[in-house]
Order: sequence, then C-alpha cells, then structure tokens
Amino acid sequence: MTSASPVRDLGLRLLRNRSFAVGGGLIFAVLLIALTADWLAPFDPLRNAFRMRLQPPGAAHWFGTDHYGRDILSRVMYGTRISLLIGGLVVVVTGALGTVIGAVAGFYSRLDAPIMRLMDATMAFPSIVLAMIVSAVLGASVVNVVVALSIATIPHTARIVRASVLVAREHDYVEAARALGAGDLRILFRHVLINCLGPLIVRLTYVFAIAILAEATLSFVGAGPPPPAPSLGSIIAQGRDFMREAAWITIFPGLTILVCVLGLNLLGDGLRDVLDPRSRS
Amino acid sequence: MAAFLARRLAGALIVLLLVSLMSFALIWLVPGDPASAFLDASATPDQIQRLRTALGLDEPLPLQMAHWYGRILRGDLGESILLQRSVSAALIERLPATLSLAGTALLIATLGGVAAGIVAAVNHDKWADQATMSAALIGLSVPDFWLGLVLILVFAVSLGWLPTGGFVPFGESPLGWLRTIALPALTLGLVQLGFIARISRTAMLEVMRQDYVRTADAKGISKLEIVVRHCLPNAFIPIVTVIGIVAGALLGGAVVIEQVYSIPGVGRLIIGAIAARDFPVMQGGLLFLAVVYLTVNLTVDLIYALVDPRVRLT
Amino acid sequence: MNRRTLGCFALSAIVAAALIGPAAAQRRGGDVVIGITQAPPSLDAQVSSAQSARNINLHVFETLYARDETATPVPELAEGVKISADGLTYAFAIRKGVKFHNGKELDAGDVVASLERYRKVGASPALVAAIESVQATGPYEATVKLKSPQATFLDNISSPRAPIAIYPASEAAKEAGKIDVIGTGPFRFVEYRPDSHVKLARFDGYVPNPNGKQTRDGFAGKKEAFLDTVTFRFMPEAGARTAALEAGEIQFNEMSDGPTVKRLAADRRLTIHKLLPFALQVIKFNHAQAPTSDVNFRRAVLAALDMEEIMAISFDDIYQIDPGWLYPGSKFYSKAGAEKYNKGDLALAKDHLAKSGYKGEKLVFMVDNIRPNVDTATVFQQRLKAIGVNVELSVSDWPTVSKIGFTPTGWSFWAHGFGIEPFEGPGSVMSPWVNGLSQQAKDPKIDALAAAFALELDDAKRKALFDQFQQHMYDDAVAIKAGNYGMFQVASARLKNFTPYRIPRMWGVWLEN
Repeated sequence: MTSASPVRDLGLRLLRNRSFAVGGGLIFAVLLIALTADWLAPFDPLRNAFRMRLQPPGAAHWFGTDHYGRDILSRVMYGTRISLLIGGLVVVVTGALGTVIGAVAGFYSRLDAPIMRLMDATMAFPSIVLAMIVSAVLGASVVNVVVALSIATIPHTARIVRASVLVAREHDYVEAARALGAGDLRILFRHVLINCLGPLIVRLTYVFAIAILAEATLSFVGAGPPPPAPSLGSIIAQGRDFMREAAWITIFPGLTILVCVLGLNLLGDGLRDVLDPRSRS
Repeated sequence: MAAFLARRLAGALIVLLLVSLMSFALIWLVPGDPASAFLDASATPDQIQRLRTALGLDEPLPLQMAHWYGRILRGDLGESILLQRSVSAALIERLPATLSLAGTALLIATLGGVAAGIVAAVNHDKWADQATMSAALIGLSVPDFWLGLVLILVFAVSLGWLPTGGFVPFGESPLGWLRTIALPALTLGLVQLGFIARISRTAMLEVMRQDYVRTADAKGISKLEIVVRHCLPNAFIPIVTVIGIVAGALLGGAVVIEQVYSIPGVGRLIIGAIAARDFPVMQGGLLFLAVVYLTVNLTVDLIYALVDPRVRLT
Repeated sequence: MNRRTLGCFALSAIVAAALIGPAAAQRRGGDVVIGITQAPPSLDAQVSSAQSARNINLHVFETLYARDETATPVPELAEGVKISADGLTYAFAIRKGVKFHNGKELDAGDVVASLERYRKVGASPALVAAIESVQATGPYEATVKLKSPQATFLDNISSPRAPIAIYPASEAAKEAGKIDVIGTGPFRFVEYRPDSHVKLARFDGYVPNPNGKQTRDGFAGKKEAFLDTVTFRFMPEAGARTAALEAGEIQFNEMSDGPTVKRLAADRRLTIHKLLPFALQVIKFNHAQAPTSDVNFRRAVLAALDMEEIMAISFDDIYQIDPGWLYPGSKFYSKAGAEKYNKGDLALAKDHLAKSGYKGEKLVFMVDNIRPNVDTATVFQQRLKAIGVNVELSVSDWPTVSKIGFTPTGWSFWAHGFGIEPFEGPGSVMSPWVNGLSQQAKDPKIDALAAAFALELDDAKRKALFDQFQQHMYDDAVAIKAGNYGMFQVASARLKNFTPYRIPRMWGVWLEN
C-alpha cells in the first residue's frame, strides 16, 4: 500500500488547498440545490398566482413573489440549474473547440497565423456585444446562448492551448515519438495535449464562472434564454421594473450568482495552485 | 525595434481587415429591417418595402460592400438611418460619456487595485492580505449590472445622494459630471479592481523574493522605501499588461453599465442600433470599438517591448 | 344646514372653482420635460406610424382635417370641404393666414406637395390609396379626385397614425427622413439629440383655428401653448423615469406601472392620470399553419383563456375586461359575441380541442421583448398547459418579430396591442384582417364585410356591418381580444389642466409657480 499513485497525490494536495476546499464546498452545495430543486423547491417555479403578486419575503414565500405571484425561492433554485447547465455546456463547447483550434494553430505552423488573426479579430469585439448579435441572428434559446457565449470564450482558450502546445512541441519526447514514426494526431493527443491539461482545466473553471456572469448579463439585456425559463439573469431583468417596490426579486438571484461565481473562482484558484503553479498570475 | 514594429503593425492590419469584414457581414446575418422601427404593428410587408426603397436600403449586397470599403478607406462611416447625422458624428457625440465612464473606472481600478495589491503583498499571509484578497475575489465575482442596480437602490433611491442615471458633460458642470459618473464608474471599476489587485499582489511578491530586495530589507531600509524604490518599478511590466487587458474589458463592460445608468455613450448607441437595425451605426460602431481595442493592445505591446527588450524577439 | 347639504355645497364650490379657477391661473412660460419610453424613429411625421413619433410630431405638425376628442374628423388647416355629388371630388378650402415655423404662409401649393409626397413615401399608403390626383384649384384651394367613392376618406385624411402632415412645399420636395422639421403646429422644433431628447419651443406665430371649438379638442380645437419649451427625454427604463420624476428632473412620465403608482399615490407633489383605454391587447393566430388554421383549435384556446389573469398580470391595475373591438363609448361599440369572451372554461376548451386535429406538437408563441407582451405570452402558455396544448415562447426584438409575423411560417401565436386602430374607428379595426394580412389566410367573410363597410354611408347599416364583423371574430376565433389596457401617466402637481389623450398634449397646459 505504499505506492502512492500520482492521481491520489494530486487529490490530497487539492484537498489541502483552502481555496479549492471552500470553492468546492460552495459549488457542491449549489449543485446539490440545483439537482434536488424538484423535491426541495416549495412551489412550481412557473405557476402563476396573480392574487399573490409582489408579496414581500415572509413565512410562505421566503424570498417573496414576482409580479406573476411566482415563488422567487423556487425560481432561484431552478434558475441555478439553468445557469449551471448553460455554464457547463459552454465549458464543454469551449473546451473542445478551443483545444482543437489552439492545438492546430500551435502544431501546424502554416495554419498558425491565419487562425490566430481570426481569433484576434473575434476578441476585438466586446464579448457581450458579440453575444447579443449572435442571439439576434439565431434567436434566443438555451442552445443559442451557449453558442454565443462559446464564440466569445473560445479565442482566449485557444490562445492558452496554443501557447502550451508551442512549448511542448519542442520537447525531446515529441522528437522521439516522431522519429519512431508516430502520426501527427497520435503525437498531438498522446504527447502534446496531455501537457496542456493543467492550464486548460484552470482556464475552463474560470470560463464556467465567466459564462454564468455573461448568461446573466445577456438575460439582463434581453438576449438570454426565453421565458418562462427562470434563468438567474432573467429573474433579475424581470424584477428591474419593480426594483423600488419589490427589490427582493432582484436581490436574491443576484446573490445566488455571486455565490456560484465566487465558488468557481475559488475552485479555479485552488486548481491553479496545484495544477499549474508556474502561471500564478 | 523597427522590425518588431513593422511585424506588429502588419498583424494589426490583417486583424483590422477581418474586423471590418465581420462588421459588414452583420447586415445580412441579422434578421429584420430598419424600416420596421418606423412603423407600428399593423405595418404590412408592402409598407415596409416602400419605406426600404424610400430610405435607399435596396442596393444589391456587392454594391453595398463596395460602398462600405470605399467609405471606410476615406474615414467615412456613412449616414445613420435613424439619427439624422453621420455615424462618425453620432460616435463623437457619445465619446465623452463613454470615455468619462471607462476612464474614471480605469483610474479607480488601477489606483485601488495596485494599492490593494501592495497592501496584500507587504502583509503577505497576514490577515490584511487575506482580507484584501477575499474582497478582491468577491469584487471579481459580482455581476456588474446587478451591483449597479443595488448601488442605485442604496445611494440614489434610498439615500438620495446621487442621481439614478443620465450624464452631464464635464464642460457643462464639473460637479454634475462627477455626480453622474461616480456610481457608474465605481460599478464598472470595482470588478476590474479585484482583478488588478490580484495581479499586482503576485507581481509584487515575485519582486520581493528577489535578492536585491532582501538585501535592502536586511540593510534596514524602510519598508515604504523598498516598495516605492525597488519593488514597484520592477512589478511595472505585468501591471501595465494587465491594465491593457482591463482597458479592453472596460470598453465592453461600459456597454452594459451605460444601459443600467441610462448614460448616452457609445455602447448604448450600438445597442440601440442593433435593436432598431440601424445598420450603418451597427457597422461603424463595432468597427470603432474594435479599432479602439486593437489600438490599446498595440500600445501595450509597444510599451512592453520598450521596457523589456526580450519581447521584441518573440 | 345639515352635514349633507354642507358637503354638497362644498362640492359645488370645488366644481365652480375648477371651472373658473384655470382661466385665472393660466400662466405663460416655464419648461416641461417629459420622460418618454422610446426615441422617435423619425421627426418626418409622414414616414413613421410609431407611437413614439406621434408623441412629438403632433405637437409640431398639423393636417387638413384632424380628429376631435371623440375621434370625429373636423377641419384643421382646411376651412372645410366641398364633396361632389358622385363622392369623387373633394375641394378643400385652405385657411388663410396660417404661418409655418419658418414664417412662410400656408397655401394650396404646400398642401398639394405634401399630399403628393405622402403618396410616394407615406408610412400608411392605404390612407391615400383611393386618390387619383391632387391639384391646386386656387391659391387657397386644393382639390383631390378619387378613383372610386370612399366613405372613410375624411377619416383617412385626418388620421394621426402616420399623419398626412402638411409641410412647406420646399420640404415636401425632400426624400424620406431628410426634411427640416417645419410645421404649422403650436410648438416648433428646436433640437434633436439622439439617445437623449427632442426639444420643442412655443411657436409664437401660431394661428389658432378660428372655426373649431375654442377649447382643447382632441387633436383639433384651440391649441394654445403656454409653456416656453417642451423637452421629450428618451428614458426606456421605467425605474429611471420614476426616479427622475421624484427628483424633479422631469415633470411628466409618459408611462408608469401599477405597483409604482400605488406607492406614488401618497406623494402630494405628483398627480396621477389614468389613460384608459389606450389599446386592445390582442393575441393573433397564424391561419396558414395547423393547428391554428383549425377553427376548433382556435375556439378551444378562446374558451380556455381567463382574461382577468392575463390582463391583471400584464397590466396591473390599468385594464378593462371588455369584449368589444372598439373602445367603450365609441359610436360603433358592439357587444356582439360577448358570450364567448372570457369564459375560462377548461372543460369546454377540451371539447373543442378534441374536435381539432391537434396532436400535442409544440407551438411557437412569438412576442417582442416589451414586458407586458411577454407577460401575456407567459400566462397564455401556462393556461394552455392545463388543456394539454404545448406552447413555446420565442422572444425577439421588434424588427425580427414584425418580419416573421407577416410570413406564414415560424409562428402560431403573436400578441401585441392595437391602439390607434380602435381610436380611428371600425374601418381601421377591420383592415388588419382584410386579405388575410394579420392571420396569413384570406377570410372571405371579413373581406366582404370590410368592402361593404367602406362603401356604406348610412351609420345604422355601418353599425350592423361592424356587429357582424365582431360576431365573426368570436364565432371563428379569428383572433383573441384579451382586454383593454391603459397607461398610468404621472405628472408634477404643478402641471395644470392636463388631460390624458392618445399623446401627452402639451398645449392648453401650464406650470403653476
């Protein structure tokens, strides 16, 4: 039992990292609420009760009700689910496409310049404006929000992967593999990308946080997933007209976003400390 | 240095070409029509077509593209469909508001962020470090538009200290300017402040580990002097880089904050243009934002290269 | 004198004071800032039918005929009209001595040029579709020849929708959107700052219409301007408008929400005005696609809806439950089909649904991003879930929605307000359904009724035709009227003699010190 595997070692180091522990705890709690919303939520988040409009927080409705008479606590619980779903999907899409684009650019030097200039051009537009235009072009839906946010987060991710690939490409073991006749794809996946995993995981954790913030912002400017889906951003946006009379509609989902993003950022910090200690910046 | 400059400029030019192409492409990607903004719900497709023709929107696409490049090469962004002025004039009108907002926010973020970073680094691993960095992380995690709404609720609505929105040009009334810009700039700056604080702290810690700083410390030179004379100048490069990134982020963030505080700036102009399908303003506005972003980045690169000669080789 | 008579006496004293009071307190001067929800797309009144454009343009421009308080056409820039026996020739006598804001006197040349321009670029071409030719038949007479008789021609000429505004001939020669803003109205244009405001100033050369009522009367009558300037500030956020009003930065808020008004009611610095009804909230069906092409399906939807729920959530405290497709009190107001309105009967709805070909497919409810319209769609969706109809919301901005909504694919339901049509009268209420324009499939019955209505001159027969139209709207559930909605308008208590109307009229009002 003495052969401590590298994976187990990594796990221990992560658990001992305070940022990772606190962030992981927060995210675990949020995930749990999101997953169990069907059982825990006191009300149907979509059911109107127009005689119960704009009730302040109280015994029946802990977070109050909106102008449909819908329970804000229940909506926030389901909203967390939608926000996490969108964030998660953006991570998957950005992770996949960002890696492929970055790896291709880094590995094939002839494609490097054209790809990276295209990425630079995409980054030159403010991401929220870019996402709004994508949503105007494709229409508002969960899938299109994911597409819009991914377009905005891919360039930076591709850059990070490319930088790691450029470093790894020069390593001796890559030369050795090539001398042994390994194909490009095999080298790329077996030898090069494995070395980018650290920075990539760290980056994607931050992408998760960015995506949740950006989804909220998109919903706020009216380009988020369509109603009645209670995404956290859209609950805030709907409450805006009643900010003065019913601040609770705005306050609670905002705090929930804060907790989610804070948890992810802490998680990212912890992962960075352990997985990618060089890039502490 | 000249070769570096030439290479950088050539790259920026290619990006600029791509950006101008992307800005133009929107006209046929985005559905809907500027004519619809003029009409109410019972407008028929015939009416919209009539108005399209009247507004001169019926040119074939290649011709429009030729016009687009013909114009921007002469520095002319065209005429707005809705605003009764040229796109350049509309942009120039909005620029003071956006620059006031982004500039003040940058000032708040930089001064506050660097100060917080120094405090944290000097008190490394003590409670002041942890408190500052926790605050920075919370700042980094707040949705800025939501923070804006909460600040309006507290400082404008409940306390009545500041107006809820709008913009007073500095030339009209410096005090009015300050009152209208304070909350929005704080909202926008706070998020980036957290970011700069974290980077500054890391950069400072890096420098403080260097031998000459330890030596200075051993010599008994005061902590303040060490920080100001030795650490800050050396932490300058990463901080300048991050300020460049932040400046770009502020431009994008300003778009949303202008909405929250009803500030007639460039972001609001572009969002209004998207909603009304005022294509020339959309195209010109996007191109403008992209050019500003590229210029900021190029400037940062140049400063970087001037300060650190090794960069020129990469 | 007992308590009650004292009360009566006090009341009559107040009434008397109200009648005499204003004349004594009228005051010239002062500046009013109005917070409006949207920037006008154009100050070229002829080319825009948007409410946000009307708000401003109808202070600056006038028409030959205009609608009075009851929406009846009365002479405005015209002294009157002589109509030939065959109903084809309209000779408008033009008022003498009317001055444009640039000092030029109005004559027949300006009228002819303006009408000709409208025929080319006007935003509501249907208004002038019947015109064969327009000629100056004297220095102060313009004669319009029609292709065929049209009972609604004076209604059209006086429409405020995209008004046939009279410009100086020099401006009428210009392209759409390229004019200098010069009219004959009580206020003249000062400046337009995009994303900020439009500023108007009192036109001291204004010549009131000596023939009309000597009081404020709809868009006609005596338009006496007291205020020095009126500034329309574009403030899309409801909260920002309210805050600005409370802070005294604006003196008038065009639109406020029910919950906000409840809070403001206690504020003695403010006066709350109710503009109700302002529009009909309507849910349209796409008749070109199944299942909304199926009359049984549409009847199921009509039977299922609880209008109280829709209206209360979408328009808190500022709605009327009313089956009529015209405003209550208007000449042709009808209750036809009322028994089918606001049933909220899920069992009946299920019966109708069983007869339809609906198989549980997902249907698109398309709606623009204005909150009350989204609310209507959301409540609709939840309600129809109860009878097993699966509705999906598609929220886009106005340009996208208005593009898709006039095509036969991509939508099943679409909700928005009809405000100006019921104001204009029965002809305008019918016309969106003629030729299948709004429902995307021709309805021969509506087409026949509307054609007959346009030719009929007898009011009793016109009323009968409109009754039939409305009955048909309910029998076939062509579209669903949810209710009437209005707007809360909040003004500074210093703003005197204001009464709400289709636009916030700033003539006849003054600011108290």
